[in-house]
Amino acid sequence: MGHAKLDSKWGYTSPGGLLRYPEEPPFPVKEYDAHYDHIFEMMEELEAKGEILIHRITEEHQPVPVYTRTGRIKLIPTNKLWHHKSCGQCGNIPGYPASVFWFMNKFGLDYLNEPHQTSCTAWNYHGSGTSNPVALAAVWLRNMHQAWKTGYYPLIHCGTSFGSYKETREQLIMNKELRDAVKPILKKLGRLTEDGRIVIPQEIVHYSEWVHAMRYRIAELYQKEGKAKGIDVSNVRVAIHNACHTYKMIADDYPYDPEVFNGQRPAASTAVMQALGAQVVDYSTWYDCCGFGFRHILTEREFTRSFAIQRKLKVIYEEVKADVIITHDTGCTTTFEKNQWIGKAHGMYYPVAVMSDVMFAALACGAHPFKVVQLYWNCSSYEPLLEKMGITNWRELKKEWEDTVKYIAELEKAGKYDQLMEFFKEYDLYEPYSRTSTGKPKASATANMPLFKS
Amino acid sequence: MEGHPYGYNIPISEKTKAVPWEEKVRVIEEVKSDFRFKEYLFGCLNCGVCTASCPSNRFFDYSPREIVQRFLEEDVEVLYDMMHEYIWACSQCFTCWIRCPFVNNPGGLVAIMREVAVRNAFEATKDLLKPYGRVLLKVMTTGNQLSADMLQPDFFPDWGPKMADNMENLRAKRMAIPFDVGKSVKTAWEVSLETAIEMYTIWRETGIFEMLEKLDPNLYNVIMDIVEENEERYQELYAEEE
Repeated sequence: MGHAKLDSKWGYTSPGGLLRYPEEPPFPVKEYDAHYDHIFEMMEELEAKGEILIHRITEEHQPVPVYTRTGRIKLIPTNKLWHHKSCGQCGNIPGYPASVFWFMNKFGLDYLNEPHQTSCTAWNYHGSGTSNPVALAAVWLRNMHQAWKTGYYPLIHCGTSFGSYKETREQLIMNKELRDAVKPILKKLGRLTEDGRIVIPQEIVHYSEWVHAMRYRIAELYQKEGKAKGIDVSNVRVAIHNACHTYKMIADDYPYDPEVFNGQRPAASTAVMQALGAQVVDYSTWYDCCGFGFRHILTEREFTRSFAIQRKLKVIYEEVKADVIITHDTGCTTTFEKNQWIGKAHGMYYPVAVMSDVMFAALACGAHPFKVVQLYWNCSSYEPLLEKMGITNWRELKKEWEDTVKYIAELEKAGKYDQLMEFFKEYDLYEPYSRTSTGKPKASATANMPLFKS
Repeated sequence: MEGHPYGYNIPISEKTKAVPWEEKVRVIEEVKSDFRFKEYLFGCLNCGVCTASCPSNRFFDYSPREIVQRFLEEDVEVLYDMMHEYIWACSQCFTCWIRCPFVNNPGGLVAIMREVAVRNAFEATKDLLKPYGRVLLKVMTTGNQLSADMLQPDFFPDWGPKMADNMENLRAKRMAIPFDVGKSVKTAWEVSLETAIEMYTIWRETGIFEMLEKLDPNLYNVIMDIVEENEERYQELYAEEE
């Protein structure tokens, strides 16, 4: 099934333009048009009253419709996106955002990747309680205002940011007291519209939804470039782990699809694996969280590793013999990745490769496993998976990456900055530069980084 | 009374017993007065689905059902006692929320309880969050919660030997990422100074700095030094530009 079938089902459109329904619900849903949609109706009302401005998805964003749990059609913008980065991904799993950018460059999509944003700060809140809903709302609205100001549509990289932002949106729409509390702060920051309105995006969109919406184009790229390199994922057994904060927080606002487990599982991540032709395997604890726990991964690690090993890794390894666990959130990836080795101490070692959907998809489409997908950072055993996928030259590719790192380190140690700059000029040309909100390309994506100034 | 006749298996602590009744009522009322409270608690079948699916329930003496039930029964003594340590077992996964037939949100109730416990500077909160100081320092000052240099192998020996490899030539590895993301070591990405200043304003206006001062005065001082230094730097740059 391609996009055309979905397009033909765009039936009723609400007066404000935010709600879209198929003529018939695509799969059995309870109260199919009655549950979460009031939020969107209220957004329209608040906009009409001049309280908020809806940052709308337009044609230039090349939206793709996807079904959510209630049958509502959510528009996923695929172009002209403002990357709301994830502190966990950028800080700890750089191949994760790099793979997203790699795809966007491959597809020739327009995007903005800039420093004028904070993380959502919700990990801190869930872990330590040292924030409050007004602060969380202010941080979110500040970041969303920045996206709106640049003319690019926000794409949220992190699962927790996505969940927190969906929840914050609902709280803001439903509670005048929260809107009243946050408005003076935004005014002080210069983060209201000229006529004093809060900017709220039409849809809050997670990167996994973008991958989901782009799955057929990714599959085409796989056929065209991945297979040509001898890569074949058809014999790879894939276990999907959906992140709690993507689909358990504001559960109705995440993709479900009749072709993915009959609409009984979240569709993102699974659908792209199916489109690539990998073998998606189901397992009994699919519903469980990873054990991350926010504060637990730092301060109660015995819980995190016990849960990760006993409830997920062991089950996935023994029950379905998966080659890889596919995730779509930093916390889950880190938890599964980093809590395997310790299992050896108790004879509970279940070595399964772990990576995000976009990292796996990039590998399938021929991205460099170390330079782009950055598997060098992974603690799980990804090597057998690479062999199975047909990426048998991974040793040479790893050496190429290691030599590059060594070369950079030596030049920096010797203080040969001019030489380093020259190297990066060529090296960065590997992919087009990302742009800043001024619209001007950076002279060199790397040369301007603060590393060189310290 | 030790524990609770209906199933809260933890004896009420001496700490809780020593607190005047009015104070306990005040704290619980503070939780209940949060605007989210009425959105998180509707009613309860006592079916236990939340607890059955709760990851923390598998490894801790912790039950989201207990929390919902105690609020419905207005069991001030137990609720106050839960706010010392009990609620910190929750892993904030919100499985309870999606599973509850009434769409209660026990994980959300815990979020409010934690916030109130921190705001009221509960001793247990201070102890429990001590190891969390690194994240607090990072998020309050830079706007990022996690950076590459935080995953030191000596802090995470249980994560295995590959962690040590990851930290070797860390700066060079970050520089070698051929995209303009994640190149910095001390932050996840380069957060612009003006953005950090906006965030400090949010912390000030929403009482987060005050909250932190009560929780950990030493950490607060370190954070404020960095904040004030950045604010001065920003003022200087602003003056130069003008």
